[in-house]
Amino acid sequence: MKRISYGLGVSLAAVTLAACVATAPSETVNVDLVEAEPEPALQVDIHDGEFATIQQFTTPGGVSVWLVEEPSIPILSLRMAWTAGETNDPIGMEGLTNAMVYHMNEGAGELDAQAFFKGMEELNMSFSCGASDESTYCNSSMLTDNARESFDMIALALSEPRFDDGPFERFLREREVGLQTRETNPRYLASRARAAAMYPDHPYARETSAESLAAITQDAMRAQKDLLMVKEGMLVTAVGAMSPEQLAPLIDQAVAGLPDTSAPVETDPVTLAAPLPEPVTIDLPQPQSLVTFAAPAMEREDPDFYTAVVLNYTFGGGGFQSRLMQDLRVEKGLTYGVYTQVSSEDKIQLWSGGGQTKNESAGEFIAGVKENMETMVADGMTEQELADAKAYLTGSYPLGFDSNAKIAARMMGVRLDELPVDFFDKRNAMVAAVTLEDVNRVAAEYLAPENFTFVIVGQPEGLDG
Amino acid sequence: MKYFISGGLAATLLACSSAFADSVEEAWAPETFTLDNGMDVVVLPDHRAPVVTHMVWYKVGAVDEDPGKSGIAHLFEHVMFKETDDLEDGEFDSTISRLGGQHNAFTSWDYTAYYQRVAKQHLGKMMELEAERMTDLIIDEDPEGSFITERDVVKEERRQRVDNNPGVILQEKVLAEFWKDHPYEITVIGRMDEVEALTPQDGIDFYKKYYSPENTILVVAGDVTGEEVRALAEEHYGMIEPSGLVDGTRKWADVPELTETLELDHSDPKVRQPVWYRYYNGTSQKRDRDFALALDVGLDVLGGGNTSLLYVALVEEQKLAVNVGTFAWTGLHDNGPAVIYATPSPGVTMEELEAAVMTELTSLLETGFADEDVLRVRNSMAASSIYARDNQQSMANLFGSWLAIGGTVEDLMSYEDDIRAVTTDQALSAVRQVFAPDRNYIEAQLLPAEGAL
Repeated sequence: MKRISYGLGVSLAAVTLAACVATAPSETVNVDLVEAEPEPALQVDIHDGEFATIQQFTTPGGVSVWLVEEPSIPILSLRMAWTAGETNDPIGMEGLTNAMVYHMNEGAGELDAQAFFKGMEELNMSFSCGASDESTYCNSSMLTDNARESFDMIALALSEPRFDDGPFERFLREREVGLQTRETNPRYLASRARAAAMYPDHPYARETSAESLAAITQDAMRAQKDLLMVKEGMLVTAVGAMSPEQLAPLIDQAVAGLPDTSAPVETDPVTLAAPLPEPVTIDLPQPQSLVTFAAPAMEREDPDFYTAVVLNYTFGGGGFQSRLMQDLRVEKGLTYGVYTQVSSEDKIQLWSGGGQTKNESAGEFIAGVKENMETMVADGMTEQELADAKAYLTGSYPLGFDSNAKIAARMMGVRLDELPVDFFDKRNAMVAAVTLEDVNRVAAEYLAPENFTFVIVGQPEGLDG
Repeated sequence: MKYFISGGLAATLLACSSAFADSVEEAWAPETFTLDNGMDVVVLPDHRAPVVTHMVWYKVGAVDEDPGKSGIAHLFEHVMFKETDDLEDGEFDSTISRLGGQHNAFTSWDYTAYYQRVAKQHLGKMMELEAERMTDLIIDEDPEGSFITERDVVKEERRQRVDNNPGVILQEKVLAEFWKDHPYEITVIGRMDEVEALTPQDGIDFYKKYYSPENTILVVAGDVTGEEVRALAEEHYGMIEPSGLVDGTRKWADVPELTETLELDHSDPKVRQPVWYRYYNGTSQKRDRDFALALDVGLDVLGGGNTSLLYVALVEEQKLAVNVGTFAWTGLHDNGPAVIYATPSPGVTMEELEAAVMTELTSLLETGFADEDVLRVRNSMAASSIYARDNQQSMANLFGSWLAIGGTVEDLMSYEDDIRAVTTDQALSAVRQVFAPDRNYIEAQLLPAEGAL
């Protein structure tokens, strides 16, 4: 057994590519644990779960990490996340967080964008950042043989991003094109119309515009980074051929340049408007119509959440096993695919769905969706359907744990939702506990067609019938 | 593994490189064997999770369709999910779903593949189900029955994939010219009018002719050993008699070189961002592997991403393009195109864009490639085969798709070494050859409808 000791408090100035010599393990490997320097031992809590053995620890620098050691392939999947995102864009500067994360791998320290990209390619690593309404994140994959140098790159990016003129101008050109192309993108048009119909005054309905892009500055991006990406509350998950002792100092080095804390704004929960009795139609010249629909759902913590998951499988989530797919695709040949989903996020909970059908059959498609809703509300599910839904939802769960990248992503999902480390082990029991009485009650409460607002993009026909 | 790269940055990196001692990779190798009935078997072990990916690859695709029957290979793939002697319509799917399995299928010009992802203890059941539909499919001849309904589904699929998307409509037109008089001429999903005319009898004929064990490759990736797979495969597939109707001939053919330069445009009110393309004659890894690997490396140096020569010149320096790139379809059995594409920055005309791209291309090919650029690209491509190991489904696809067109396991195992062996001269001369000034090409433009901008 060996342990690599780590130097605490890597200075910001040392976070350069050359500085990794100072922390090279060859100088500080302590083969004999008993004779190691009296540094605080890394406290690792091992959760030996059914789907993964998760090692939880807090680095000496204070970062909370969930690690799954997987030695069989010499790679590491790494995820870092923070629980504030795009809703922190100032009014009138929509797109600021998006601009900031775009620049996170576009040059840092002495390396301009080209040098940074080439450096990553030479190491065969990836590193990029992104954001959603309520989170900001950076993902990386690397060869463990190059871990030290790869973390040097990440450290440089997190502590000294350049926000150079070149990438910023390119970003603005790309987004200018994006403002044009989104106007004929059916999915974008549908989601914009949904927001306008269901939560027009909430920050989730705010949009990037030519004016808001013009207001973004490099200083504003720097400030946004310091607001959203800080040490406090930072979440890390990793899967790969590394031990906690190897990973901890690398993470500390990577985040050394981040501010300790900040005060992002918390988003208010969405209050949904009353559903619209008639579909909203957005004209777009194409042979097929995109039909979408959405209604309120419950919160993640609601005792009915897993009931909704089971019900959704049978109604529209379960591929060919779902009633909508059986009826609208298999029986009627109206569509290549139709689906529904329950998305219970922290601030917004929607039961939504959609599918595409030729314009001539849009009316028939919507009537079919509504009929299936009515039948489910009136008669509920059968015992067989309930058993089938549970069998699939529990039986397929292991399929999500067969790669490093998937496990790292799943663990981050659990952490962002503030679920416990044994969530994976308990989840199937929660599915199995759902009763027919539960699903039928939840169906009656949530799936009535009049709860849903329909949005259609295309040139639909037959909507009156 | 450490790659030696010259230059300031890399020199610094090497100075402090340090491998983590316990991440040394064990030797990994697939296992292959053939059943007595001719079914080839490949096992790709991955013991990280108790999960397997089970795939059956049929050596038939859209390339093999008879004239006027375009789309039958793909429509038939849909029909394979219907009724059999032992399974009612829908039972195939419900059986797998109740076991927590996920499954689907896909069709290409060169092959048709069916797969299930499932907990390892259900592998035998998956084989039983695949064996059942390989031998005992019932094709519904009722004029209002499931074959006809499925035909309507495929028409919706075509609308969704092709007809709703101006860029795909243009690509379909271009490829029809590129592969004129070659079986790849028609898109895999088929022409709408020909799909509409397909009958249950077409399905029956297709099934009898091509669906037999000697025409298949079984690929199992995941938490299994070769021995386990052999025992299960012999039990479930081993007793299927070869139909004797599969003669092994495919309708692959030489792709004729373009004999004239063509220009094709497609305008659509939905297009808000024009795109410019040139399609040149390329190659395929199957027909000329050395040349194809050299071309892949060369096109990556030239236009493979945001450090490529064209991108740096046209997007970063001249700022005339929002995007520019080069790539080639080298994974088909027969030669595919080598493509240059660019999207103009706001305010730049297509004429200005084309002139700038071609001027830059000519000048770059004259100057040649720097060794360090070629080295970087080679190493990235080689490392991609390490990352590919993280996903058992990708591994199964990689092996199945290459073997189904007649490639060997050895080719895939030596990919890393072979790609590293490509020299700067080979990469450059491959690209120079493909884009030589005397070559014909198809120029294509995706344009906004008149007056839409």
